[in-house]
Amino acid sequence: MATARPVVSIYNFENPSEKTGTMPMPVVLQSPLRPDLVREVHRDMAKNKRQAYAVKPKAGYDTAAASWCTGRAVARIPRAPGGGTHRAGQAAFGNQARGGGMFNPTTVWRRWHRRVNVTKKRHAVACALAASALPPLVMARGHKINQVAELPLVVSDGIQSLTKTKQAKEALKKLGCGEELQKVIDSKSIRAGQGKARNRRYVKRLGPLVIYNEDNGITRAMRNIPGVECAHVDRLNLLRLAPGGSFGRFVIFTEGAFKKLSDIYGTLKSGAPKKKGYTLPRAAMANADLARIINSTEVQSVLRPKMERYTHGIKRNALKSKELMEELNPGSTERRAVQLKSSQKGTPEYDEVQKKKKARIEESKKYNKEHKKGDETFYKTLMKAFEAKAAADAAKKAAEKADDEEDEE
Amino acid sequence: MHNDETIWACLGENGFCSFKVRWKEPKQDFCRNPYNVNGLCNKMSCPLANSQYATIIEEEGINYLYMKTVERAHSPKNLWERVKLSRNFLQALEQISKHLEFWPDRVINRCKQRLTKMRQMLIRMRKLSLKGGTKLVPIKKKTEKREATRELKAESAAKVDLAIERELLERLKQGTYGDIYNFPKKNFDSVMEKEDEEQELQDEDESDMEFVEDLGEDDEEWEDIDNKVEEVEVEGDLGMNDLEEVSLPARKKRRGKVEVEYEHEIDTR
Repeated sequence: MATARPVVSIYNFENPSEKTGTMPMPVVLQSPLRPDLVREVHRDMAKNKRQAYAVKPKAGYDTAAASWCTGRAVARIPRAPGGGTHRAGQAAFGNQARGGGMFNPTTVWRRWHRRVNVTKKRHAVACALAASALPPLVMARGHKINQVAELPLVVSDGIQSLTKTKQAKEALKKLGCGEELQKVIDSKSIRAGQGKARNRRYVKRLGPLVIYNEDNGITRAMRNIPGVECAHVDRLNLLRLAPGGSFGRFVIFTEGAFKKLSDIYGTLKSGAPKKKGYTLPRAAMANADLARIINSTEVQSVLRPKMERYTHGIKRNALKSKELMEELNPGSTERRAVQLKSSQKGTPEYDEVQKKKKARIEESKKYNKEHKKGDETFYKTLMKAFEAKAAADAAKKAAEKADDEEDEE
Repeated sequence: MHNDETIWACLGENGFCSFKVRWKEPKQDFCRNPYNVNGLCNKMSCPLANSQYATIIEEEGINYLYMKTVERAHSPKNLWERVKLSRNFLQALEQISKHLEFWPDRVINRCKQRLTKMRQMLIRMRKLSLKGGTKLVPIKKKTEKREATRELKAESAAKVDLAIERELLERLKQGTYGDIYNFPKKNFDSVMEKEDEEQELQDEDESDMEFVEDLGEDDEEWEDIDNKVEEVEVEGDLGMNDLEEVSLPARKKRRGKVEVEYEHEIDTR
């Protein structure tokens, strides 16, 4: 279900149960949600605060070591020169040697920083702001906002003039942030790892981010409250809006700041007045509710009817199934029945068959009598011809034999 | 824009949600959100990714029907509408059907199933509390070890055997046992002497003691004691005059033991 509220209420910071007014929702807060984009930009932006680390350039190589080459019954690794000390003759330089350099020494000219396209960065910020306006996303990030009256939370400008931390804390608690602030206090623990010895001893969760327009004391009032961070609307940082790369930070706007969002980012049509050449990101889909679209009348009315897919039943064997055989070969059952009957004596079918058999035998006999008896049968005629030839051949052979005998004599 | 599809895309299978618990074996995702109706992480049961959602939540033994709708999606404080369900199971089911009248059937069924589960859980809880249950006390290895060692030490320090011996002899002297025990005279006297070395034995009334010959059964037991008694140095013949002389020469021999020193060669390597 897609909803985009047209109007946001403003809460009186002194008495948060009453609303001092309403304000139209800035278009930034309706930007498409792109967790992938935010993660990517955050990843690269976070690298920009890094400080270089490396081993000394000379580390492991500050000896006049040279290899002893072959012929000395030692390995060919470079060895420290000289004598009179343990160090002499010991291996040097290699990563495997004691006191040698490391493999692939870390260097200061490693590419520590990343540049990100300005438009990309701006899109990411817009996206992160939009996420902070949706309660499910803020809850999923881990903020305790069950007592918060509305999201996005806009507070009257008076809060910007607070100077005392006590007052600021009171104000936040009245706005429903008590649970959130308590969560931060409870989560303070000693960091795991070496960081604890490197001036990063404690870790704690993040609380709300208060975005203001005019600093009349608010930063100083809020800065000692654990977990609370302040930011000026003009200078919104993605690293604060989407800590760790996950969007949905719990954000509290002041009235002035909220108004200024529209002035900075404008609309899709107008572009961003304060950011030259920049327009807010457009969603790939105006309505992302796919189920609703598919089931709508507009779509359903133009669909062709559903195709009937041919479903094969169970394959039947015609040789086993008599019904199927009849279907394929009409008359086969009848013929089969006649066949069966014809072997039973006394039935008309049987007689029929016998009659046919008799007739056949008669015919055969007649034929044999005519063609297979006497002197003029096929076989005899054939043999006669052969005999004639055979006689001729025999005579010829005899004649030849006689000639041969004459020759010999 | 508040769109269930996009929100599930951000949270769901490939996204991040702080309530999600992923198990690798068996492959299953769970949801730790208290409003989830069945505890699983999927699009149907995600309370965050569904604008229209209903659950049953149990508080202090009472079941409530919680509902949320799109209209209140922007306001976390007023998001959930709550209806107290009747204690009567059938009536509670009716209530669910009534409040979720035009909701999808699946939602209604899931709520009813959850209600059943909750009620069963409550029944079990009540039964368990009646049973009382065993209290589990942990065994602390360190403490146990320490106490055991101390016990042993205390036992050896108390010297129970000696105390028992003393007590028995006291009682014997006082005569609480009377005539029930028969001891061979010499042994008895020697032990008594040992006890009264510093005292004058004339205070002792030996004449009160009557020695009755036993039937000869337990002589073997006392053989060992004979040997022990003979080795004891007797400093004086106090009170021995009244007694019968039995194996006295053995005693006299042992008087004045000579200590002999032996030299041993020690290897100095």
